[in-house]
Amino acid sequence: MTTEHDVPIPYMQRTRDYYLALGYGAYRWAHFAEVPFTPLRTPLSRARVGLITTAAPFQPEAGDQGPGAPYNAAAKFYQVYSVSTESVPDLRISHVGYDRLHTSAKDINTYFPLARMREAVAAGRIGALAPRFHGAPTNRSQRETTERDLPELLRRCQEDSVDAAVLAPS
Amino acid sequence: MSLAARHLEANGISTVIMGCAKDIVEHCGVPRFLFSDFPLGNSAGRPFDVPSQTQTLELALQVLESAPAPRTTVQSPLRWSEDAAWKRDYNDLTKLSPEKIAERRREFEVVKAVAKGKREAT
Repeated sequence: MTTEHDVPIPYMQRTRDYYLALGYGAYRWAHFAEVPFTPLRTPLSRARVGLITTAAPFQPEAGDQGPGAPYNAAAKFYQVYSVSTESVPDLRISHVGYDRLHTSAKDINTYFPLARMREAVAAGRIGALAPRFHGAPTNRSQRETTERDLPELLRRCQEDSVDAAVLAPS
Repeated sequence: MSLAARHLEANGISTVIMGCAKDIVEHCGVPRFLFSDFPLGNSAGRPFDVPSQTQTLELALQVLESAPAPRTTVQSPLRWSEDAAWKRDYNDLTKLSPEKIAERRREFEVVKAVAKGKREAT
């Protein structure tokens, strides 16, 4: 047995209550009845796998993006970006609402699993990585996400000829 | 991210989301989801704990390979800490005085203006 509050945090309720208390209207999260499904058609050990992140490349001019930095809207990005999976990128999450009280973003591997995915390729678990990973903007406008960013993300994943993608939000 | 998974999947690319916000991802509806009951920011495992990161990725890969249908969620057996008290703190209004709430509102207005400026400049 565990305690009553030991359940996944009800983020929508907490966030809704919080912004109402601050004097704002309720945000509506995306919600669908139908969910698409494409079974993995290639065994993973022969599949080419992509990686998509919401983390942002470090921008020297954009202020404090270090571990534990306060929410930094200047570090946000609004266009899909792509970087070689051969590189060791410096990606930060100061532009999103991670749990600054209970974690610190000191270790990139907690929100960006590229190093672990490379190991999975070396171990033969994954066939290959896509040549690049992609950054997806965390835009509050679902319309802009749907009409502009998602088609661009799909186009890039198709160019990479991936069979599957791992998506790691931060 | 949930919208991205749906869009890729609808166009023939299999996806798995590694995430910490169970209600938000499931409310949207995604094909496959490995849920870690960790503070936001740790969707790929614990900090400086390679075995936990390896285990988290491996679970996600198994979900990718074997989910029988959309909306498959698997919860990682890993625990953030023995004590679940951390779950009470996220946006906890009971700890905020009216003065503090007013201050948070002022801060949020600044953040919104900065984000707007950046978006319009992009």
